[in-house]
Amino acid sequence: MIAAAFSRPFWPLFLHVLGAMTLFGAVLAALILALAGQRRTTFLALLTAVPAWVVMRAGAQWIYTKEGKWPTNPTWISIGFDVADMGLIVLLLALGAAFWWRRGGSAHAARATAALSGIYIALLALAWLAMSGKWG
Amino acid sequence: MSTYHWLLTFHITAAFFFVGGSVAAAVLNALAIRAERPSETAVLLRLVRRTLPVIFLGVGGTIVFGIALWRCQRYSIGAGWIWGSLVLWAIANALGGIGGRHQERARELAERLAAEGDASTPELKAILTDRKGNAVSWAAGLATLGILVLMVWKP
Repeated sequence: MIAAAFSRPFWPLFLHVLGAMTLFGAVLAALILALAGQRRTTFLALLTAVPAWVVMRAGAQWIYTKEGKWPTNPTWISIGFDVADMGLIVLLLALGAAFWWRRGGSAHAARATAALSGIYIALLALAWLAMSGKWG
Repeated sequence: MSTYHWLLTFHITAAFFFVGGSVAAAVLNALAIRAERPSETAVLLRLVRRTLPVIFLGVGGTIVFGIALWRCQRYSIGAGWIWGSLVLWAIANALGGIGGRHQERARELAERLAAEGDASTPELKAILTDRKGNAVSWAAGLATLGILVLMVWKP
């Protein structure tokens, strides 16, 4: 079974999808915690999103290296890369705001953490809609 | 977009809700196990309920749009990977329900302890770290992972 799986482009796509779904779940948990005012655990939930992002992005690059043979990237690939790479900035900003909130307990930090987590979830949704619908 | 791509978009969105919601519930449960005070454990286990609408949307959407895709793509009625996914889907839901009831028992005890002085007891620790209860949740997670393997691999 494993040998057969290796003979097809299974692992890159599997890791990409698994990483993306885990990333969505971790940020969703962080958003729920932030909205409930749980400053210590919000930071921990967002921390779990970082390895998930790495798996998602590594899987994406692996697939692209094997199968990305277009002269110019189709829209859905561009959206995927843009959300993955620029979205990392949003994720790190959310993590920073959660750290600030955890240390100082500022209400601004709490709102920023919840807002950035919400924005990141919206970006992830945009990416999965574009990629599954093969936009462009 | 073609009908196929619309159905695939809805199916994948539902899969994100199913798996992502389950991951969110698992993260909240793991944080509840690590919490020091029963009041913290109770709050975190109560928050698990907020993931349920997401999980239920995912559970319903994956089956409805999955079957629609099956018809749209005219996959064989005997396609083993589809039947395997359906069996794993049923197992994941059954085990997820059992694991959820275990978490509810832990939440009720944590709430009672929180109201009685907020000191942890060996009973709460035992129920939170109960091997059987946690094994059921892990098995539900593995069944979900199995569905993802079959959906990507399509043997």
